[in-house]
Amino acid sequence: MDRPPLTADSSRAFSAAALLGRPGLEAVIDVEDVRKSYGSLKAVDGVSFSVAKGEIFGLLGPNGAGKTTTMEMIEGLHQPDSGQIRVLDMDVRQQSAAIKHRVGVQLQTAALYPQLTVEELLALFGQFFDRRQPVDRLLVDLELEEKRKAQTKTLSGGQRQRLSVALALVNDPEVVFLDEPTTGLDPAARQRLWNVVRRLKSEGRTILMTTHYMEEAEALCDRLAIMDHGKVLESGTVEEIIGRRFQERGVHFGRKGAPEEDKLKALPGVSRVAYESDEVVLYTKDVPATIGGLLELTTRARTEPANLMIRRASLEDVFLELTGRALRD
Amino acid sequence: MRALFALSSANLRSFIRDRAALFWTLAFPITFVILFGTIFSGGGADYRLGWVDQDQSQQSQALRAAFAENAPVELIDGTYEEAKAKMLDGDVDGILVIPRGLAVVIDAAHAGQTPDPVSVSIITDPSRSNTALALQQIATGLVMSANLALSGAQPLLTVAPETLQTARLNSVSFFVPSILGMALMQLGVFASIPLVQQREKGILKRLNATPLPRWALVGSNVVVRLIIAATQTALILGIGVAVLGVEITGNWPLIIGFVALGALTFTSIGYVIASFAKTEEAANGMTSIVQFPLMFLSGIFFPLEVMPEWLRGVATFMPLTYLGDALRQTMVGGAPFQPLPIDALVLGGWLVVTLAISARFFRWQ
Repeated sequence: MDRPPLTADSSRAFSAAALLGRPGLEAVIDVEDVRKSYGSLKAVDGVSFSVAKGEIFGLLGPNGAGKTTTMEMIEGLHQPDSGQIRVLDMDVRQQSAAIKHRVGVQLQTAALYPQLTVEELLALFGQFFDRRQPVDRLLVDLELEEKRKAQTKTLSGGQRQRLSVALALVNDPEVVFLDEPTTGLDPAARQRLWNVVRRLKSEGRTILMTTHYMEEAEALCDRLAIMDHGKVLESGTVEEIIGRRFQERGVHFGRKGAPEEDKLKALPGVSRVAYESDEVVLYTKDVPATIGGLLELTTRARTEPANLMIRRASLEDVFLELTGRALRD
Repeated sequence: MRALFALSSANLRSFIRDRAALFWTLAFPITFVILFGTIFSGGGADYRLGWVDQDQSQQSQALRAAFAENAPVELIDGTYEEAKAKMLDGDVDGILVIPRGLAVVIDAAHAGQTPDPVSVSIITDPSRSNTALALQQIATGLVMSANLALSGAQPLLTVAPETLQTARLNSVSFFVPSILGMALMQLGVFASIPLVQQREKGILKRLNATPLPRWALVGSNVVVRLIIAATQTALILGIGVAVLGVEITGNWPLIIGFVALGALTFTSIGYVIASFAKTEEAANGMTSIVQFPLMFLSGIFFPLEVMPEWLRGVATFMPLTYLGDALRQTMVGGAPFQPLPIDALVLGGWLVVTLAISARFFRWQ
């Protein structure tokens, strides 16, 4: 998979120039040092990132991190106090209307006319754009066919979210903005929506999404920026972000029948041994060597390590490391 | 234009499917018209009078026929006891008793004698003084004309009842334009509610994320209000003309012009409310607070002349005073409070000022 390079300064990591310097990559969204305050609250405090054509870029962070404000400034719904935002190589301030014809927006508050039916609403929004997709196709793509004649107030949470995404697609957009698309959905409904997002990517669309679900960011995003208190703390691919902070991996296995601690400590690559409730965790920079050594030990003892598992640090661990708080606080 | 049309049609469909809104904007004024029409319709058989004929003669029946034909009463025949029971039950408003001996006296008078007069009794309820007075006058009138007829004298003086306004302008004709004015006012100020709802639900914000121009958004709201205003006007005038017999004498382009101007002005006042109300509840409260003074401190239900001085001063500023005045003049030829250009100017002034306020303070999200 094509991934842009990393630089040391993560908040400036993906400037348009850096991306465009690589053949075949084109920055579709370019945000540079954007700020927005509400009174004394700095909602967005110097955010920069770029999104390449065809990728899924995620803004990950807790509620109030400034994700939605950032996204809505890119959508042209708020004016930034300072900074530059370009979408599809147009300035958001000056060419807002032209941009709006080519992007699709899904807002966190699913805004619907409660008394209109699903197909009426899709047809209505279609009238606002120069280009539009057939309503029937949207209904099929978002599995809303059997609800086409239902008034939107009668829809379930998952259906409502899918309709909200469908509304973002009426103009066959090149760029799709999804703001917390799966918040409040049950796991099955969330899976369905993830499949929709993956299909959007496979159709060549660029997607910028916000989420406060770490699993969602890991499952969907090619690259992401971790935000807190209006700032970007880290950005890159999931592996890069984790790898930058946590070089070690954890080798987990059952505590029962495990070799003694000093033998484990002496294994190649192991820097630390930890005991969690019923597991032993070996922290290592060299997973193959450590596991090889571990298997030698257990083979000699005519046993085998139970429930052997390699676990890398998660985005959750990164966030904890960066802010001292858990993401879900 | 395509977007404006689509959005107007969507708003209209939403409105029609919202039963509560539909009821308040359409059924309410209709109920009002019918209610007022029933209360104020004059001219028919207004009173029910128990007719107790103790004489049972040709003469007493001739008197009854003449009475039934000329007086605004419905006669209920019966004995005195029956009539009394009905009056106590509230079925009749009064009782008129033709005593035994009427025929004898009349025959004597025809024969040139001067017999002792017989007394026709009218029994009324003093606790209903208006009705009592009216019935007594009716009875007196009956007896006087009977006397006159019997004495064979030619009447020298007659009374022709007329009012100061055009002869046709009964109280229903006065009220139908008022109700139309009131309906347009309510329709307008309640325009704040869907707008605040749409803002609260984030619909305005969502629309803002599309290339839909704002003029189309506002325009569609206005178009819908005008369509509803036209429907209301047609209903109210239809009932007024068909059921209550109101005669529209005025000129239609002027009527339509003032209905549209009134709807726009009050819709703009509604937008001022939407500019300051943050929530739907606040908008509801503010709308109620605004609509009552607009309604009662304007001269649409009470003529300005009967108001105390200070109230008349307030009413002079109220837009509804001028809309009511203009509609009365153009629809039923009512006496002007102000000439039509002044009415139009005041309404237009309110429109411009309130539009400016909304433009300055309205928030899209």
